[in-house]
Amino acid sequence: MSAWEKLTALPREVVLGLVLIAMIIPVIRPLGLPLMVGTMAKDWYDTVDALPEGSIVLFDIGFGAGGYPTLGPATIASFHQFFEKNLKIIIMATQVAGSMMYPLIMDAVNPETIYGAVYGEDYVFIGYIAGTQTAMAGVLGDLYAIVSVDYKGTPIAQIPLLKDVKGADDFTLVAYITTSGDIAEGWVYQAYSAYGKDLIGGMLSMMTTTMKPYYDTGQLLGLLDGVKGASDMEFLTGHPGDAIRSSDVLSFSQTLVLIFIVIGNISYFGARAARKEEF
Amino acid sequence: MVSTDPLVWIAAFYTIAATSYAFRDNTIFKFSENTFIGAAAGHLIVMGVKNVRDFGWAHIMKGEMIYWVVFVLGIMLYFRFHRKYYWLYRYPIAFLVGNGIGISIRAAIHSDFIVQIAATAGPLTAATTFDTFNNIILFIGVLTALSHFIFTFEGMHRGTLGWAPKIGRWMILLALGASFGNTVMTRFGQYSGRILYLVRDWLGVVA
Repeated sequence: MSAWEKLTALPREVVLGLVLIAMIIPVIRPLGLPLMVGTMAKDWYDTVDALPEGSIVLFDIGFGAGGYPTLGPATIASFHQFFEKNLKIIIMATQVAGSMMYPLIMDAVNPETIYGAVYGEDYVFIGYIAGTQTAMAGVLGDLYAIVSVDYKGTPIAQIPLLKDVKGADDFTLVAYITTSGDIAEGWVYQAYSAYGKDLIGGMLSMMTTTMKPYYDTGQLLGLLDGVKGASDMEFLTGHPGDAIRSSDVLSFSQTLVLIFIVIGNISYFGARAARKEEF
Repeated sequence: MVSTDPLVWIAAFYTIAATSYAFRDNTIFKFSENTFIGAAAGHLIVMGVKNVRDFGWAHIMKGEMIYWVVFVLGIMLYFRFHRKYYWLYRYPIAFLVGNGIGISIRAAIHSDFIVQIAATAGPLTAATTFDTFNNIILFIGVLTALSHFIFTFEGMHRGTLGWAPKIGRWMILLALGASFGNTVMTRFGQYSGRILYLVRDWLGVVA
């Protein structure tokens, strides 16, 4: 085996071990790399910022534990902006584990203590609603026909915030953050196309290439692109958190991945040239 | 300072156990995988029961008898396990499929076709040079990528127009590359959150 071939056959334990180290170093010693806010996140921020005080926002937590490290910080930063702007938030979950993420998010935002918000008056959680697009269409079409109680079991007719909310006409903005392509596209179909509602969406980076055409055509007014979008939101809202720290980790570890790709390509072509010489 | 919270230790253990698969398949990984499946299935059942209670039964208790139809349809789904009357489950399935398609297709045509075609067919010139350049790339990309999938006209791939599907293939490969790059970034992003949890919340190395 030539030196080139040995390099190509580098054991994956070595590669993964190095990547792991590259991820730990920036956590222990932050690099403080500069952060350039992207236009998609800025548009999300500006869309929310332009809402009048007291506007009602329908927010969908469309992710579970697997998506929390990436999308949790984006949701927390977004909620900070909602509460700072004194917006009324109706929270729902179209992902079954979304209901487990709700307390984690609210513990981090702490709206009662920081913003003096009151559950039922300023925000409410109506829980997980099965059916994805059917659930979206139902909530926008006739909320009372779909939901009878909130997540805590209180009849929604007794919740001040939901008393006069019947459906799409009462929501000023629809927002979602999700790990699912069905949910991300579903809201575009149901909120934007069917009801013409202003819509903003956050998602995993791997979904951005699929969802960006909706942003480019104005169907999504803002888009949060994974950790990058989350760190932008933390910066814009002035609530630095896990995403900004993760940005350092990402930049450092991705650089290592790029180096590996370059080494892999050089060794591949080197090995091929060596084989040709042998013949 | 290392955390003394047992919940943090459990979370840390499962994070490490799940990650260990990246190095080699092992017993600890299998244990964490099975635990996760069990917990997720349990949660799903609880949420299913809660959904039936909150969004179905609660309406019936208010006297909205139309919801009995939904319950009957739901029960009919279980006839799939009956040897003789299994055909009954086809009715709720037909309802679900029809309902799902009807709800999504009314808007999908607008969002995925009309708006996208209108945007592609718009003027190429934009406010900035960069946007104009983007529009031209998009325009060429859409046309050539579409041409790559025209198989009924042989001349499209071998004749004088053969360059168009070739460019289209490159466009598709570029899009796949971008998508793959984003996928790698997503996975790293997800794991960076766990690294932060291990180093900060569990080991207390950083504040």
